[in-house]
Amino acid sequence: MLRSFSFKHSLPLTRVCSKSRAHSTLPSVSSSLGTLPTTQSPVVSKLSFFNSVTGDGSKIPTYRVLDGLGVPVEGAEVPEISEQFARRLYEKMQLLPTLDNILYNVQRQGKISFYMTSYGEEAAVIGSAAALADDDEVLAQYRESGVLLWRGFTIDSIMAQCFGNHEDTSGKGRQMPVHFGSKQHHFHTISSPLATQIPQAAGVGFALKRDPARSSKNIACVFFGEGAASEGDFHAGMLLASTLPTPTLFLARNNGFAISTPSSQQFYGDSLSARGPGYGIDTVRVDGNDVLAVMNAVTDARRRCLESGRAVMVEMMTYRVGHHSTSDDSFAYRGRQEVENKKKIDNPITRFRLFMESRGWWNETEEEELKSRLKQDVLKAFKRAETLKKADLKELFTDVYAEEPWNIKEQREELAGLLKKYGQVWEPWRDELKSFKDEGKKLLD
Amino acid sequence: MLAPRLRSRLPAFVSSVRDHPKQSCRWQTTASTAVEPPPASGHSSSVASSKLLRITRESALRTPGIVWADEEPVRNIVGGRETRKMNLYQAVRDALSIALAKDDTAVVFGEDIAFGGVFRCTMGLAEEFGRERVFNTPLTEQGIAGFGIGLASMGHTAIAEIQFADYIFPAFDQLVNEAAKFRYRSGGNFSIGGLTVRTPTMAVGHGGLYHSQSPEGFFMGAAGLKIVIPRSPIQCKGLLLSAIRDPNPVIFMEPKILYRSAVEQVPIDGYTIPLSRAETLIPGSDLTLLTWGTPVYHCESAIQLLNSPPPSLAPLIPPSLRSAKVELIDLRTILPWDMEAVVESVRRTKRLVIVHEAGMTGGVGGEIAAEVSKRAFLRLEAPVRRITGWDVPAALQFEKFNMPDEIRILDGIIETLSY
Ligand SMILES: Cc1ncc(C[n+]2csc(CCOP(=O)(O)OP(=O)(O)O)c2C)c(N)n1
Ligand SMILES: [Mg+2]
Repeated sequence: MLRSFSFKHSLPLTRVCSKSRAHSTLPSVSSSLGTLPTTQSPVVSKLSFFNSVTGDGSKIPTYRVLDGLGVPVEGAEVPEISEQFARRLYEKMQLLPTLDNILYNVQRQGKISFYMTSYGEEAAVIGSAAALADDDEVLAQYRESGVLLWRGFTIDSIMAQCFGNHEDTSGKGRQMPVHFGSKQHHFHTISSPLATQIPQAAGVGFALKRDPARSSKNIACVFFGEGAASEGDFHAGMLLASTLPTPTLFLARNNGFAISTPSSQQFYGDSLSARGPGYGIDTVRVDGNDVLAVMNAVTDARRRCLESGRAVMVEMMTYRVGHHSTSDDSFAYRGRQEVENKKKIDNPITRFRLFMESRGWWNETEEEELKSRLKQDVLKAFKRAETLKKADLKELFTDVYAEEPWNIKEQREELAGLLKKYGQVWEPWRDELKSFKDEGKKLLD
Repeated sequence: MLAPRLRSRLPAFVSSVRDHPKQSCRWQTTASTAVEPPPASGHSSSVASSKLLRITRESALRTPGIVWADEEPVRNIVGGRETRKMNLYQAVRDALSIALAKDDTAVVFGEDIAFGGVFRCTMGLAEEFGRERVFNTPLTEQGIAGFGIGLASMGHTAIAEIQFADYIFPAFDQLVNEAAKFRYRSGGNFSIGGLTVRTPTMAVGHGGLYHSQSPEGFFMGAAGLKIVIPRSPIQCKGLLLSAIRDPNPVIFMEPKILYRSAVEQVPIDGYTIPLSRAETLIPGSDLTLLTWGTPVYHCESAIQLLNSPPPSLAPLIPPSLRSAKVELIDLRTILPWDMEAVVESVRRTKRLVIVHEAGMTGGVGGEIAAEVSKRAFLRLEAPVRRITGWDVPAALQFEKFNMPDEIRILDGIIETLSY
C-alpha cells in the first residue's frame, strides 16, 4: 500500500526537479573539452572562481508587495484577501504586542520567570501562519507564538504555559515560559537547544509523505532564527530534506541579532538565502515586515514544497525590536536610537494598517476598540492564570518513560517519605507544597 | 592592537594591578544583561551567609594550596599582596585578563562574549585586548570546540565559552572523540593542552530543562579530558588559571547561580590552585560529605542544621547525632578526581555521603562510590549514600523538590549516621 503510493508520487517530483535545474545559471550544454565521470558539469579551460548565487555578484533580491506606507509597489501582485481575512490578520498581529506588553511587565514584577517578545516580527510570523494550512506540522524555535494564536490556541493556554500552572497543556509546568506546544494545533513543543527542530522537520516531512491521508495535503514547516542557522543541525536538516527528499518548508526569521551578535558576525555570505541553492533548494528572500509579501511567498513556497515533495526555503528579513528576552538589556550592545528608528520607520503592523485604511477596511475608532478589547482579554486571562496552582507534584516523576522504571518509582517514594517527615515542619517545603495542586499528597498514588 | 600586545609582555601581576581599578569601574557602570537574572526570591541564602567564603584580605591570602604566579620570595604572603572584592563572574574575568596579558597566543571566544557574555564574565576584555583576541563566534558549539582544538593543536592557548553547559552536547563529538583522544591517537605527537572550555552549569531556581543541567557525568568516560568545577571566586580564579595552563584539555564548569551570589576578597596577583586536589572545608571524624559546586553551600547548611537544629526540626534529629563531626570535602576537580583524599577521609570517618545536582543514575557519585567501596570496604559502617537530583529532567516548576537541598542532605546524613 505505502510502496505503490510513494512510487506514484515520485513521478511529478522528478519533473519539477528537472524543471528547476533548467533555471540554473550555469550552462547545461555539454562541452567540447570532454566530460567528467560523476557530474554533468561542463568542462572549461578558463580559470574562474565564483562566489555569488545571482551569477553577477549582486545581492539576492528581496520580494516586497507593500511599501512602508502600505501602498502596493509597482508590479506587485496583491494577494486576493477579503476584508474579513484582512481584519483577522490585523487582529492577530495586534494581539502579539498586547500579550507581549503585559507578559513582559508581569515578568518584571517577578510573577513569571522569563519571557520573550515578538516585537517587530508580527508580520513574518502571522503572515507565514496565514499562508500555511492549519494542519501543516509546525516546528518552531520560540519567537513564533503567533502561529499558535492564528490557529486558535487560546490566550488562557498562553498564560497557563507562562505561569506554569496546572492548566498548562504544553508541558505541565516543566518548561520555561514561551515553550509552547499543542498536538491539536500541529505545533511541536518548543525546545530550548537551538536548531534541533530543523533536522527533525525533515523527518516530520518524510512521515507526512509516507502517510496516504496527508501526503498530498500537508507539509512540515520549520522556523528558526538566523543565529540558529549557524548550528550544524541547520545544515543537516537542509541536506536531508533536499536529498531524501522531504516536503519541508524552511522559514528563516532573519531579525539581525542572535542575542548580542549582529548578523554581520554570524555569517559572511549573502545571509541564509545564499545557502538554499547550495543544497539544491528553491529559495526566496522576502521583506518580513510586509505581511502580504510574506503571505505570497509562503503560499508559493508551500505549493512548491507540496508539489515537488522537496525542501523549499523562505528567508524573512525583519528586525528584533525587543530585547532578546527578559534576561537581556539590548542597549548594552546596540543604540537606543537604532531601535527607535526601526520601530518608527518600519513597523509591520502600521504598514498593514495603512493598507487596510486605504481600502476603507479600517479606521481610528476600530483601532481604539480593538486595542482596548485585546488588552481586556489578555488582562482577564492573566488575572485568572495568576491564581491557579501548579500541577500535581507527582508530575515531577511522570512522562520520563512511557512506564515507570524501578529507580524512578523508588525516588518518587523516597520524596513522599521525606515530605511526610519534613513537609510540615520545614517552612520552605511547607510553603512550596501549597503551590502544587495536590500539595504533594498524590505522590504515592 | 599594539597597546594590548605591549602590555601582554608585562608580568601578569604588574598588568593586573595597574589595570584593575579602571576595569572595575567599567563593570559597575555597564547595564546588567545576564541571561539569568537573580531569582525573584533572592539569592540562595546559604551562599550569602556562608562561612566558607573568604571575605577578609587576610583569610583570602591564606587560601590553602595557592601558588603565586610570581615567585618573589621577598614578598611576604600576607604583608605584600592586595585583594579586591569580587563575585564569581568578576573572578573569571580577572583570570581571563591575566591569561590574555601573560600569554600572547591566548584568545577568548564564544557566543556573545565580545560585549561581555550573557553572564558578564568577559566584560571589557574585547576593548582591552582587541577584537582579534576576544571575539564572538557564529552560533555553533561543535564549531567552537573544533575551532579551539585546531587552535590548540598549533600550540596556542584557546579559551572557549559554551554559553550554557546544557548546550555543550553539539560539541560532545569534538570534545569526547577529538579533544580527549588527541594526544593518545597521535602517539604523543600532537596535543591540545592549550584548550580550555568554560561553561556555566547547575541550577538557578528558574532554568527548567535546558538551563539547569550538570553534565559533568557525561564526560567521566572521556579519559584525556579534565573536568573542574569551582565553588567560589578565589577558587575560580586559581583553578581557571591552572586549567588554562594545564597541558591537557579542560572543561571548566562554573556554577551559574554563584556568579553574583558568591563574593570574596580575591587576591589581585596571578595565582593558581592545583587541579585534581580535593579540599577539606570542614574537618570531621564521623562522616565524609563530598560534593562540588553549588551544593557545597547546601552541605554547609545541612551540617549547621544537624549540629544546632531549629526548634521545628529538633524533634526529628536524634540528640545523640547532633554532636557528630561531619567532614565536608569539595572535590573541585571531577576528572581525574582526588581518590587519595576521599579514601583517606572515608577510612577515618567510615561513612560517605555524596551530593550532586545531576541525576543519580550515571552520575559522578556512582563512580566515586564504587572506588571507595573497593578501597575502604571493611572500614565502611554504612552504605555509600548519594543525595542527587532525581532521575528526571530539570522541571521548572518542580525544581525545589528535585534538587538536593539542605533538608535532603541533612536526612541523608542522619540516615547514614544511624545506619
Ligand atoms: C544550542 C544552543 N546554543 C545556545 C543557546 C543560547 N541561545 C538562546 S537564543 C540564542 C540566540 C538565537 O538567535 P536567533 O536564532 O537569531 O533567534 P532570535 O532570538 O533572533 O529570534 C542563543 C545563543 C541555545 N538556546 N541553544
Ligand atoms: Mg535572530
